[in-house]
Amino acid sequence: MKKIFLPLTVVTLAMLLNSCANDFIEASTTENIAESDVLNIYNNDEGAKSFVTAIYSNSLNWNASSFSWNGLTSITSDDADKGSDPGDSGSDKDKCDALTLDATSLSVQDVFEANYQGISKANIALLYLPKLDKASTVIKTRLTAEAKFLRALMYFNLVRCYGGVPIVDRVPIPSSQVDTDMTLTRKTKEEVYAFIQTDLLAAIEGLPEKSGYAISDLGRASKGAARALLAKVYLYQSNWQGVKDQCALITGYNLVPNYATIWREAGEDSVESIFEIRGYGGNPSQGVEGYMVSQGARGTSGWGWGFNTPTTSLANSYEAGDVRRNATIVFAGETMWDGRIVSPLVANPMYNEKAYVSNTVESFNGDWETTKNIRVLRFAEVLLMQAEAANESGSGDVTGPLNKLRNRAGLANTTAVGQASLRTAIRNERRHELAFEHDRWFDLVRTGQAPAAMAANGKTFVVGKHELFPIPQRFINQAAGKSAQNPMYN
Amino acid sequence: MRNFIFIFLGLMLLPAYMSGQAIKGKVSDKNGVGIPGAIIIAVDSKTTTDTDFDGNFSINAKEGEVLKINMVGFDPLLVKASLLSMNVTLNDSKDTELKEVVIIGYGTRKKADNTGAISQLSATDITKTKVLNAVQAIQGKAAGVQVIGTDVPGSSPSLIIRGIGTALGGRTPLFVVDGIPTGSIANLNSNDIASFDVLKDASSLAIYGNQAANGVVIITTKKGKGDKTTVEYEGFYGVRTPLKTVKMAGSNRFAFYTDVAEQNTRFSTDQLYNTNWFDEITQLGTYSSNNLSLSGSSEKINYLFSLNYYDEEGVLDGLKFNRFTFRNNNDYKVSDKLKITQTLSIANSKSTPKPLSAFTAAYRQSPLVPVKYPSGQWGMPIIGADGQASTTGALFNNVGNPVSQLSFFTEEQQNLLLQGSLALEYKILNGLKFTSRIGVEYNNFKRFVYTPSREIWLAVDPTRVVESYSALDPINELVVGRSDYFNWNFDNFLTYNKKFGEIHDLEFTLGMTAQETGSKEELDVKGRDVPENSDYWSLNLSSSLTNNVVTKHLIGNQRNLTGYFARFQYSLMEKYLFTGTIRRDGSSQFASNQKWGNFPSFGLGWVVSKEDFLKDSKAINFLKLRGGWGRLGNQNVPLNQQTFASGTGFGYGFGGGLNSGTTINVFIDPTVGWEVTEEASVGVDFKLFNSKLSGSFDWYNKNTSNVILNVIPAFTVGTGATPAHSGEISNKGYELALRWDNAIGDNIKYWVGGNYSSNKNLVSKIYNPIAINQVGGFIGNGQYTKQLAVGQSIGSFYLWEVAGYDAAGNFLYLDKNGLATATPAETDRKYFGSSLPTYYYGLNFGIEYKNIDFSVDGYGVGGNKVYNGKKAQRFGGENIEADVATDFWTPTNTTAGNPTPFNAVPISSNYYLESGAFFRVNNITLGYTLPKVTSSISSMRIYASAINPFISQKFTGYSSELNNDGNPMESQGIELDAYPILSSFIVGANLKF
Repeated sequence: MKKIFLPLTVVTLAMLLNSCANDFIEASTTENIAESDVLNIYNNDEGAKSFVTAIYSNSLNWNASSFSWNGLTSITSDDADKGSDPGDSGSDKDKCDALTLDATSLSVQDVFEANYQGISKANIALLYLPKLDKASTVIKTRLTAEAKFLRALMYFNLVRCYGGVPIVDRVPIPSSQVDTDMTLTRKTKEEVYAFIQTDLLAAIEGLPEKSGYAISDLGRASKGAARALLAKVYLYQSNWQGVKDQCALITGYNLVPNYATIWREAGEDSVESIFEIRGYGGNPSQGVEGYMVSQGARGTSGWGWGFNTPTTSLANSYEAGDVRRNATIVFAGETMWDGRIVSPLVANPMYNEKAYVSNTVESFNGDWETTKNIRVLRFAEVLLMQAEAANESGSGDVTGPLNKLRNRAGLANTTAVGQASLRTAIRNERRHELAFEHDRWFDLVRTGQAPAAMAANGKTFVVGKHELFPIPQRFINQAAGKSAQNPMYN
Repeated sequence: MRNFIFIFLGLMLLPAYMSGQAIKGKVSDKNGVGIPGAIIIAVDSKTTTDTDFDGNFSINAKEGEVLKINMVGFDPLLVKASLLSMNVTLNDSKDTELKEVVIIGYGTRKKADNTGAISQLSATDITKTKVLNAVQAIQGKAAGVQVIGTDVPGSSPSLIIRGIGTALGGRTPLFVVDGIPTGSIANLNSNDIASFDVLKDASSLAIYGNQAANGVVIITTKKGKGDKTTVEYEGFYGVRTPLKTVKMAGSNRFAFYTDVAEQNTRFSTDQLYNTNWFDEITQLGTYSSNNLSLSGSSEKINYLFSLNYYDEEGVLDGLKFNRFTFRNNNDYKVSDKLKITQTLSIANSKSTPKPLSAFTAAYRQSPLVPVKYPSGQWGMPIIGADGQASTTGALFNNVGNPVSQLSFFTEEQQNLLLQGSLALEYKILNGLKFTSRIGVEYNNFKRFVYTPSREIWLAVDPTRVVESYSALDPINELVVGRSDYFNWNFDNFLTYNKKFGEIHDLEFTLGMTAQETGSKEELDVKGRDVPENSDYWSLNLSSSLTNNVVTKHLIGNQRNLTGYFARFQYSLMEKYLFTGTIRRDGSSQFASNQKWGNFPSFGLGWVVSKEDFLKDSKAINFLKLRGGWGRLGNQNVPLNQQTFASGTGFGYGFGGGLNSGTTINVFIDPTVGWEVTEEASVGVDFKLFNSKLSGSFDWYNKNTSNVILNVIPAFTVGTGATPAHSGEISNKGYELALRWDNAIGDNIKYWVGGNYSSNKNLVSKIYNPIAINQVGGFIGNGQYTKQLAVGQSIGSFYLWEVAGYDAAGNFLYLDKNGLATATPAETDRKYFGSSLPTYYYGLNFGIEYKNIDFSVDGYGVGGNKVYNGKKAQRFGGENIEADVATDFWTPTNTTAGNPTPFNAVPISSNYYLESGAFFRVNNITLGYTLPKVTSSISSMRIYASAINPFISQKFTGYSSELNNDGNPMESQGIELDAYPILSSFIVGANLKF
């Protein structure tokens, strides 16, 4: 008895334990939903939508649409100064202002990184949507088109900032050399534009018109948005016919009567609005991070950090009586539309009114993620594109669209005649209509005005260099020779 | 799980069977304490047995025959067997060291027979330095064991054993407290610790398999002993101040410097205020500990109860911590064969944390800002038209008021940790013992964070008035957080011990373990507008109930581990020693085909001093050579399952309100398994000159492959850092420990000890291309300071090298061709060494004269670099150190130590890098033991000690001992938001009743 007891115990122990040991070390995730459960959890309309919602959400990111984006698209230009306190560089906004950005500058890296984060989310949505066989085909078609629209918008931002960039058109598999090369190898500017156009043409196919959306889906990409973006993409390539064709097909939009309301809460989703990045001011808030506070008035009576301030050059460039001047600029000492009194002692003489959110008469839930919607595309720009395409191609109505905007701004019809002076008139109109709407720098570069405009602003624009921002150095390091830096940034 | 319990119950109910006529008795030492493990041989009956834990034995023998009793460390004894209960007392052999026992995994081993590298620290080592955490107390006391201290009240220092082999999460050793595996001993009252054994080499560690790669510390808590009840009180009180401070520029100097930087004169150089922010946010720290224990034993039961209350007020205003611990350890001798051991520990700590960023804010905020304006409002960095601090004007920096920052930050935390274990030891046969042990751990954590939003809004701009505060905004916000988890482990093992033929001594251990690290459930609820009084911090009392929202509800991933282990130990003639172990572990952390791993090891030993040629040596009393090899794993990685990210942060508001989003933000590589560490080591233990000089020397070569790093994919991939096998890291080094013990006459006893550890850490391979050029050490200004590279230590600083000044006094840097440039390229950076020391050492000295005892302990490190991260936070408008303000480049002082004042993010350069070497006196203690005071007090000792009274360091910051997050690739070795190391002065008393 004694002799068999020991081996018996050991064997029993080992057997019993081994049988359940394998079960015991199976633990599934509880923190997040496992990828293997995608078809259990997300295989329905709501699940399908959530993959695309995450792409929209990416545009609320601080780096994607806020501080660094302002640094590259606005502070660099002749419309805006760094602002804030002389001692506060905003990490590198002083370099944006002085056109001395280098490959290690944070703004350069942030915008690059944030857009690719969004592209990754778009690729993930495009990967999973076809697998969700229980989601409605109609909705999936629309969602696929939305994802492509958003991906195109992000590549458009990238190509305008950095020129040709790697085209990541799918979720890369880490072990695949082809996929790794895809993520590390820059393509040409032309290839990127071609890719954007393909995405937008597909988006136009699959998207409904803005009017086709239910109220609860307001703010999703529409056919009109995809056409407007495609027109803009053509505009950057001087494809005037393309611009005209797309603009002609944009229907159902008009100008709102009062320019000043466009950027207020009351002006959201208006008849003029084509595409907006939407801030949600509920609880919890889900807004564009820091957009308001980084540009709010600084110092006594202020509400922000005071960056991205209008230049005297901009303030002085408006024609007398142009309502857009006051609607765009907060002047020190003024009483604002909502009754807020701005002390004359604020740190800077002017601030960007388009970033302002009233905490008394608009929905307000803290100053970091506000209800502010960024107007990405609006009908006024379609008119401007039409005018420009007509003028540059030598056919079509130039002054008609231009005068619509001038009249709304309280100005008389343009007196410009002839292609050259109309070109100047269109450019001025574009500057005033779209001031602080993240386009000025790109317009200056696109139209070749940059060297002169910068010189007038006391900065040096180096031709052959400053047309593009540097590729972030950390990406150049990651690419390990597969991608080269932009000219003159080494 | 059900099966485990079944077996446990089954084995408990085993019939206790007896056989034959038994001679019973107890073997004790000269103090009457039972000697476990003594071997009793009945010469005629040819039977053997050994004594149990309390020295009791029972042997089949005839009355009157000779029993031979052997125990290492005692002189052998021959006695006649008697039917009456025998009481045998053994005399200590002169070879006292042979009596020493070290704790190994799932058992103990005579130190002389041990083949591994184990540093053993005694209760005295641990309680001498009066600190909260035992790990802090052993700093400098063991070779190969590096402690990176921290003086933040309630925090745990880092413990690194033989160099760091990984950078991701699992860098801390495994603690095994009375058989319960745990990650931290912050709940442990140091006075309760009986022994603290640090297993250092892979040969001893392999029995812990997949959890052992960072070393294992086995802690045993005290038990009751002696036949009468002993009551012991120990208490101390101390004051604490920062050991080092940094002299900042005064307000006039600041004004001058900033005017130069901004090239204007907006700051008056005759300032009204001159605030020393460091003084404003700090106070004299105090701490105290009161410990009461009651212990004793009877025939059947050993018992120990202890209570401790530790209370600390930090040097940072408002930072408080206290901890109450209760322990009860009981041993029940159910029968001669069955013993049940039970431990219970309750630790409840409460704290009011404060943001350590206040130290950085105090460093940066300008001295011309008053703490408060005469109006009573908080001072802000606003400069008036007259160039003085003002309530209106320009905000000249973005640093808050450090004092108001502390005052607005209110958090209360309460952490309850229960640990208990129940072990059963059953002697199945002579020499065969079965042990079954269950350990449980329960944690409950609560916190309240109160934010007075309206007051904060008002303080930002002194011209603001309550009336203009938006009615939509909260007056205050309250976050209530809760979390809890339950862990358990269940170990079963058999130990078989046999001596035969007088020269063979073998021991065999076989067992299994199952562990569950339970899911941690976290819940945060946020509400607003609650009463200001902290008694009413309940969301029910909010005046705005609809705003109460759940901001977090997370059910953490569970981790399960199961392991089988076997160990064979053999000693031939007490001269030739062999140990072999194997462990097989399965872990739920990995994908299904990666779950199981095998971890073998062996150790060899040769007690040279037992050989004939050294047996009679006067100079060499003991000499043992030992060596071994083993393989270990590290399963401490995130759960290897691809998941979706969702929730806040991925949502978006369309027309109908907020919609939830789903995506993947981190790609998980399913092929990731555990890190593998292999180590070969050799060592020698010796006692020389009548055992006055003792010591050991160890050499090791440890290589960790499959090192898991959080690899950031290329930006264009667009997803976050993911754990991936990245390369190999090697740690090579040696350790030397020496101690000289002697006496002068009858009254003076003294000892001098020291240890020195050298470790060379090297990234020897990187095989994941993404891991190449991984950067880290971000210092919050967009700049990074560290990069991973082959041939460098992990966490090496990667910086530009300053090459002097240009004509305007700005820094020039060396480019890769050795030429000076103002705009260096990324490729011009160089490696400048790492935050890991290449050597560290401890020195200990003690002397006892009659009733007086005196001791000094010192600790030092060298070969490491530290980055003065707080100094690199000046973008413009922030304060500078006094020497920067007085010695900067001007056209007439072109060789100044600092560049001309500038307003920009400083780029990462070796200007901010300093030597991290230091030597510090860790502890000086003077004690006096009073002769018997009264009849009820059997002994009393009073003492005074100084902790960290002196330091010698090159670093110009507060402290170069900068653990931070403990990650060498991240903030370790960077001084930013760091709590200073403190000096403490203590008086205390110890009474025994």
